[in-house]
This record gives sequence, C-alpha cells and structure tokens, in this order.
Amino acid sequence: MATPSVPDGMQARGVAVVLGGRRVLDGVSIGVPRAQVTALVAPSGAGKSTLLRALVGLVATDAGAVTLDGEDVRGLDACALRRRVGLVAQSPAMLPGSVADNLRHGVDGLSEADLLAALEASSLPAAIADRAARELSGGERARVALARALTREPELLLLDEPTAALDADSARRIGETLRGLRERGLGICVATHDAAFVEAWADRSEHLT
Amino acid sequence: MSSMAAQIAAAAGFAVVAVGLSMRMGLGLGREIAVASVRAGVQLAVVGAAIALVFRYPALAFVFVAVMLTTAGLTAGGRLHGLPRARLRALVAIAVPALTATGALLLVGAFDLTARSAVPTAGILIGGALAATTLTGRRLLESLHDEADEIEARLCLGDRAREALAPALRRAVTTGLIPVIDQTRSVGLVTLPGTFVGLVLGGATAGEAASTQLVVLLALVAVELAAGLLLTELTQRAVIEPGERIALPKRG
Repeated sequence: MATPSVPDGMQARGVAVVLGGRRVLDGVSIGVPRAQVTALVAPSGAGKSTLLRALVGLVATDAGAVTLDGEDVRGLDACALRRRVGLVAQSPAMLPGSVADNLRHGVDGLSEADLLAALEASSLPAAIADRAARELSGGERARVALARALTREPELLLLDEPTAALDADSARRIGETLRGLRERGLGICVATHDAAFVEAWADRSEHLT
Repeated sequence: MSSMAAQIAAAAGFAVVAVGLSMRMGLGLGREIAVASVRAGVQLAVVGAAIALVFRYPALAFVFVAVMLTTAGLTAGGRLHGLPRARLRALVAIAVPALTATGALLLVGAFDLTARSAVPTAGILIGGALAATTLTGRRLLESLHDEADEIEARLCLGDRAREALAPALRRAVTTGLIPVIDQTRSVGLVTLPGTFVGLVLGGATAGEAASTQLVVLLALVAVELAAGLLLTELTQRAVIEPGERIALPKRG
C-alpha cells in the first residue's frame, strides 16, 4: 500500500535579504507546517517582518529558497501564492469602504454565509460587517485583517505581531481563533516577541537570531 | 511714443510699484521682485529675438521646440525626486502628447502649417503638459509613500501590482487635471485666458479669438490628461518588479 504523501507546508532554507544595501536576513531557515501554530520568536529588529514578507514574495530574496509543499515559490504565480499563504501585517491597512467591502475585495461571489463564517472565525460579530473599516479600533482592525485573509481560503496564515497593542482579553481571543483555524488544518506562523502568547498558544517555535 | 515703448515703460512702472510696495511694507520681497522682473525682460527679449529668427528661417522651429521640450523635461523631472530616470520619463510624458496634438492641429488646418503657428501652438501645449506632468508626478510619489501600507495590503490579498497601484494612480491623474478642468469651466466667466486676450489685442475679431481659445483649451485638456496617464504608466513600469513586487521610490 502506498504511503500517502504528507504536505510539508512552507519551508525557508538559507534565506538572505538585502534591503537598501543592508543585509537584513542572512541564511535564515524555518518551517511552517500545516495544522500547527508555529511561533517565530525573535527580538525587535531581528527581521521577522522582512522574513514574513519574503515568504510571500513581497521582498526579493538574495539567497536561499522558499518552498510551498516542496515547490519553489519562484515558480508559482505571485498572486496565487499570496492567496494560498495569507499575510496579516502588524498594523494592517484597511481598504476604503465597509468591513464587508474589505472581506469581499478580490473574491468574486463571496456568499453572505462565507462572509459571516470568516467574521465568526475571527471572533467578530456579524454586525461589524456594515461598519466603515477605517473607523475601527486597532484590535478590530487586526481581526478584520485576519477575516479578510480567510475569505481567500488560504492554506497557511502568517501573522506579524497579531497581539501587539492588544489587551489580554483581545490577545486571548486571537489565540482561540488561531487554535480553531489550526483544527481546520491551516498552518499558522505567528511572528511575536510575546513569550506568554507563545507559551499559551503555539505548538512549536522557530527562533530567529 | 510707440506702443512697444509704452508697454515696456508701463511694465517697468508696475515693477517699480511692486518693489516699492514690498519695501514699504517690509515684506523682504523687493530684491526678488526686481530680479524676477529684469529676468523676465531679458528672457522675453531673447525669446522674441529667437522667434524672429524662426520666422526668418522656419527650419529653426524644430530646434526651438526641441529646446522647449528639453527645458520642460528637465524642469518636471527635477521635481520628481526619487523616481528613477525622472527627467527622461518626464520628457517622454510631455513630448508625446504635446507634439501629437500640435501635429494634429496643424494637419487638420486648425492653424496654418507655418513656423509662426507651429511654435506658439507647441509652446502652449508643452507648457500645459509640463504642469500636468509635474502635478501628477508629485501627487503620485506622495501617494506611493503615504499609501504604502494600503498598497501592500492589496498585494497581500492577491491583487496584481497594477491593481494595487490603480487607486493611487487614479487620484494622481485626477489631481494633475484639476487646474485645466477648472480653467476650461471658468473660461470667460472668471478670467479671459491669454490666447483670447492676445488675439483681441492683436486685432482679431472676438469670434476668431473665441474659437482659437476653444481649440487651445480643449487640446490642453486632452494633452494634459494624456501626459498624466503617460507619466503614471512610466512610473508603474519603474516601480513594478518581477513577481508582482513593488519597489517604492526613495522619498525625495
């Protein structure tokens, strides 16, 4: 009987990034497997955000390789890659219009049920859908950005400091949300220097030095 | 006294009044106004002599237009700090629509196919394209910096780089076109534009002056829109990298 292949999620091997003449990352290797919450732990300024952006091709790598299920991402269409691997920035920008407009952006024919499911998965009430996205609080924006990424039905999620500037209760709700997504098979990578969050919610850690 | 001598004397008189007012009010602008006035006089004298030469030797019209275009490209490009090869991109954005429209106006017979018509027609259209290119370009570069997070959010959601840039580009083109649209809307109501005034003072009938002004104004709208669109296209090509990446220009 054939052994079923095990998808290995995203792997970065020996990744180097030079920005503005400065080597921001030098030979970094990490893995983001499916169905697990991986904490990317590093002090501020160590290049966590740059690494997450490099994983989805927002910045060019100068050395090394990034693979998704074993396939070099440079061979994939960049837009398709960014739908398969959602990146939620630390201070996510809201697009003009309502929360619903944000969730529907670039998703043809998103049903009302799918929209509400994305809100619910991000611990947001259905009533928020009609609110102006740019008038939300920081915590609400973070969760709307997560819901917005979920409407693309990603396989992996990369979150940059999702609990920064959140109170303990909001951080707990983010943790519960991530755990729920993990149960659905999503691979999640959380870049953070919040040791308590890592302790409470991460299955494994990758350290960036 | 000839009318030319009277005009020069009147111009000098107004300059003296402006300098005197500035000094009297302690604005510190007296020297600047005096220098600008003298400079304008010298520049117009040189231009007048150059145009007289063009009228005498029509082939020089090409050189004259080339000098105008080069100056416009350098001027607009110099204001677009951070955009790679800004002067060349500005020159293309100005030259293509301005020369195309000038050629069209001469070919359809709107103006005589002579150096006397071609040079001022090209000049006014190059001037309009210069203004639109500068305004559009500066607004676009500001947007690329101010809206960097929004542009990146769009990329993260799977937009193509051109889709992610589209809102900023639209706003820039709109901004660049506002002056000429306002000028077109308010023509005759708020101001009498230069072409109309010049023709009337030169002895043309009001009807001739109005139709000439109309074609110039609407040509300007089309040329300025085309210049803005061309500059945004050239800017997109400068900032979009393979892999749907956007390399933002350095802030100037």
